[in-house]
Amino acid sequence: MLSRMGIAGVAWGLVPWTKGFSAFAQDQNSEKAIESFTGPGPNPHWNSIGPYISEPQKAPLILLTDRPVQLETPREYFRQVFTPNDAFYVRWHLSGIPNAVDLKKWKLHIEGNVKRPEALSLDDIIRNFKPVSVAATNQCSGNSRSRLQPRVAGAQWGNGAMGNAMWTGVPLKELLETTGVKDGSVQVQFQGLETGPGPNGLPSNLFLKSLDLSNEVIDECIVAYLMNGEPLPMLNGFPIRLVVPGYFATYWTKCLTWIRVLATSDENFWMKTGYRIPDKPRGTTTPEEVKTGNVKTLPIGRFPVRSFIVSPDGDSKLIPGVAISLNGIAFSGYGRVARVEISADDGKTWNLTKLGEDFGPYSFRAWSSSWTPKSAGRYSLAVRATDNKNNVQLDEPIWNPGGYLWNRIERQEYVVGEAS
Amino acid sequence: MSAYTTKTRKTLLIVLAVIAIGTLAFADLKKGEYVPSQLGSLQQPASPQLSPDANFAVSAYPIPAIELAPGDGVQEVRTYCNTCHSPRYITMQPPLPPASWEAEVNKMNKAFGANIPDEESHKIISYLQAHYATDTRR
Repeated sequence: MLSRMGIAGVAWGLVPWTKGFSAFAQDQNSEKAIESFTGPGPNPHWNSIGPYISEPQKAPLILLTDRPVQLETPREYFRQVFTPNDAFYVRWHLSGIPNAVDLKKWKLHIEGNVKRPEALSLDDIIRNFKPVSVAATNQCSGNSRSRLQPRVAGAQWGNGAMGNAMWTGVPLKELLETTGVKDGSVQVQFQGLETGPGPNGLPSNLFLKSLDLSNEVIDECIVAYLMNGEPLPMLNGFPIRLVVPGYFATYWTKCLTWIRVLATSDENFWMKTGYRIPDKPRGTTTPEEVKTGNVKTLPIGRFPVRSFIVSPDGDSKLIPGVAISLNGIAFSGYGRVARVEISADDGKTWNLTKLGEDFGPYSFRAWSSSWTPKSAGRYSLAVRATDNKNNVQLDEPIWNPGGYLWNRIERQEYVVGEAS
Repeated sequence: MSAYTTKTRKTLLIVLAVIAIGTLAFADLKKGEYVPSQLGSLQQPASPQLSPDANFAVSAYPIPAIELAPGDGVQEVRTYCNTCHSPRYITMQPPLPPASWEAEVNKMNKAFGANIPDEESHKIISYLQAHYATDTRR
């Protein structure tokens, strides 16, 4: 017994001199909570920094705000081309969002400058029209807003204010054909069940968005009652939401209840003041230019081409000499993703990746590649996508006061450890 | 006696050598290490009770408590800003230049019709600048 203790004591004494036991110093691996705010520099994290929250019909998502609800999708869900409904990001503007919809009473109203106004039940919408499906990316105008320098006020999204789903419903055009559109109509306005406590006529009371009737996207819009083959979660717009393929999500009205044809163009805040971008290449300007008051603006529209490295996420060390599988997604609101490239030398040379299944021009497109780090050290990989209109991601950052349209080339840092 | 000591020493040396070799070979293998923690920081929700009627309902949306920096004006923030949105809209922002906070409160009053009386608006602006601006955020 004594001799055993002696042996243990001597063995213990040996420990500090064996180089390997420096492993005892690995306390950085114990879990710490993320910082509570970022800035004035850019948010350095892939996602935003909020805590996780469990909302009805949702997996734990990253909380930006609770009333109204804004939730971000964690990075790992983008390993799939179709974002699961329960992980799909959430963004509302006004605090009065529905907890319940009574489908005995609820109707979709098609009204305004139409020949025969209609009010359709969900059952009418499902049974009286032939359903169509489209795979389409839904991305918040302010996705990645926390990257801008200088930082701008607004929801401080990381990259997770986006998702891709197979949307099933009725073409908007067919609905408008049932009512007929009067001559001289210019726009169609969309209103959902969302309301706020603000005074009538103000943007704190209603969230209203409109599209020009002459916009070619009208022919591609659908009024969707299924998302990835299931009813929409309440927070994503149950019972129906507008799908505007290729367009930022601000037009994808949730809990769509009024489709209103307009004889004059929509002058409400959400069209005239909010969600506007500089009428300049890439929608970029400077704070100084904005101060001059000479920056002409346009309503935001299609989203620019983007791509992301999803995995590995850089949170674990890699091994030298071993090929790892790089995976991610790409999309563009202007057309199909034509190619996705990876650079391991800070953009000097680019290597094509392999594209995954094509689900249509507006869907996420998976890409994959392989990379073998030669030796221990720190590495940075960059990813860029090009769409079939030849739009390509650039490395120059952009800035505009709304914090919209971010599509700079993304990078991922990796640490490769020593294997011997 | 001396033979016995020699034998013991020999055994001891062999055992020590085995341990030393073993220690060197598996030096990097770190045994499990644990820290005390808490369960239930994110409670698993219970399944809802559903009935086959036309009412499609979900449970209430949670509003977790939010800590605002203590100071003059915090009460006005809680009273007025909270009318339309939770104060998490404030704590979510990055540190902003003082002028941006003034612009935000003015936007709430003018564009969104918040109608906060002048005195309270000034108090709110001062509070936000004193706690959530570029030089003051902690």
